[in-house]
Amino acid sequence: MIEAEHLEKTYQRGDGRSVTALHDVSFVIGDGEFVTVRGASGAGKSTLMNIIGCLDTPTSGVYRLAGEDVSHYSDQQRSRVRNQRIGFIFQSFNLLPRTTAEENVELPALYRGEAPDRGKATELLERVGLSDRADHFVSELSGGEQQRVAIARALMNDPPMLLADEPTGNLDSAAGNAIMDLLTDLHREGRTIVLVTHDEEVAAYAQRELLIRDGVIAADRARSPLRPVSEAG
Amino acid sequence: MKTLQTLALALRTLWRNPLRTLLMMLGVAIGIASLTTMTSVGEATKQQTLREFKNMVGTFDVVNISPGGGRTRGMPSLTTVEPTLKFADAAAIAAELAGVRQVAEVQNAFDIDVKYRDNTTASAMYGISANWLEMHSYFVAAGNLISADDIQSLARVAVIGPDVSRELFPGEDPLGKQIRVGNVPFQVKGVLESRGAGPGGSSLDNIVFIPVTTASKRLFNRDYLTTITVQLDNPDEPDPVVADITALLRERHGIVPPGEDDFTINNPRAAALRVSNVRSTLSAVLAGTAGIATLIGGTVIMGLMLVAVSERRREIGVRRAVGATRGDVLSQFLIEAALVSALGGVIGIAIGVSAAVVVAVQRALPPVVLWQAVGGALLLSVAVGLVFGLQPAWKAARVDPIDALRS
Repeated sequence: MIEAEHLEKTYQRGDGRSVTALHDVSFVIGDGEFVTVRGASGAGKSTLMNIIGCLDTPTSGVYRLAGEDVSHYSDQQRSRVRNQRIGFIFQSFNLLPRTTAEENVELPALYRGEAPDRGKATELLERVGLSDRADHFVSELSGGEQQRVAIARALMNDPPMLLADEPTGNLDSAAGNAIMDLLTDLHREGRTIVLVTHDEEVAAYAQRELLIRDGVIAADRARSPLRPVSEAG
Repeated sequence: MKTLQTLALALRTLWRNPLRTLLMMLGVAIGIASLTTMTSVGEATKQQTLREFKNMVGTFDVVNISPGGGRTRGMPSLTTVEPTLKFADAAAIAAELAGVRQVAEVQNAFDIDVKYRDNTTASAMYGISANWLEMHSYFVAAGNLISADDIQSLARVAVIGPDVSRELFPGEDPLGKQIRVGNVPFQVKGVLESRGAGPGGSSLDNIVFIPVTTASKRLFNRDYLTTITVQLDNPDEPDPVVADITALLRERHGIVPPGEDDFTINNPRAAALRVSNVRSTLSAVLAGTAGIATLIGGTVIMGLMLVAVSERRREIGVRRAVGATRGDVLSQFLIEAALVSALGGVIGIAIGVSAAVVVAVQRALPPVVLWQAVGGALLLSVAVGLVFGLQPAWKAARVDPIDALRS
């Protein structure tokens, strides 16, 4: 359960004036929902995503994860939340260069403070259909493959929520569709998915859409998927 | 994140950026290599100097008294010394002072002609008491040393060094043969073992020993000594005995203040240490320079690490996004710096030790490796990495993940 109550975010600009990026944003996302946050660039999508992802804190308002108010957590506490409760998927994949697919997938486990579980990474690479690429360096993989490695990485610590920021933005439509199918599968397994995009077609995979405009929620509406969810397999 | 994992991660990062790693290690490696070489060669030189001194002097548990107040230059000899030191002085020191094991008498001169038939050589001539040879660790290769009986009977016997034996008796057994020293005939009683060269490089084997009594009465016709050698019970604390000797000789020679001593007391071990310390001061200065080179190596690491932090902002952002704390990032970069510096140190030690061994072999020095210095060098390299890695690591920890992840 993700709860946002009256979130405000203002930035101090260089000339001393302040800019409001988010204004009085409130919503609730239930466990297992697939929600897109849509809006034009500059609308406050990124700011909201950073707060949802515990990379940033709101200026005021309350942000709760599973009932826990994390809005004023310290840097270290937020690191722990990111590590264990959120899986990040980025537009530009953000895999570590000069590193193998498997090492990238294992990365969140490294910061969990527990003994690394080789089997888990292998299993996840298998899950995203890349078991034969485990020992390949990132630079040897196609864009679609890299994004699948990133999804496997996001799943490493088994977080309840996946936070995807334009996950198909750097992919051709075939690879993009494959990624969206994978996310849909993960959603059907019970994971909460928050997807930030400006792409109407991508947003169509979700059950619900938060439309953000000029820092406020302009619309919060349920939608029936435009296209049927392809069968898993 | 556990330290071991951080270490493994750092090692992997270094391994996958070989050129950068090599550059970072270079300065520290050069500094540590010179440091290791300097200290090892310095210590080897010091030990070598002491060994040469000991070889020349034969013993370090004595003090030598020579006549004359001012320090005479070079070795005392009958022709250069004042006639103030008498046989009776030696006897008095042996009889009256505590802490004295034994006393030996010496009357020596240099460049004395020694002849056998048509062969002539010039050698150092030492009239000595029987215990002197033993105190100075002289051994015969053939025949016998000067004995107490020889001293008593003013025997005209000589023990010759290997150089003299070679010059006078080529292909002949010298034992029992008669040589002439300043036209006085002596019978060769023994031939010494070789002692090789002294600190100056000149031979220690061009020497003839005769009984000091014979030298005094039958050869030189002088009743004073060039040296009294006093063997101490406790060579580590020569000062009280030296003070006693000084007091006794002043009394015997009727010197009252403000009159100055008419003799000089030398401690060969102290002299040897003085010389070797001059040499090791020099190597300490060189080692200091090498230490500075190591610090410059540290600044190279710092510079390259700072560049690396800028280049790796995205990596830092990714790590922070998946749960790395600032502390995790800090320790990752810090350990990377310490590790690269330590690896540079290890390479430097390997080069330095090899160089020290090569120098030791070339200059016939004892192969000394100061393991304390090696351990110190390793610690120094780790410390250099930590100190110079601190600022880049701090910069890395301060990277804002939101900025870093923005493409």
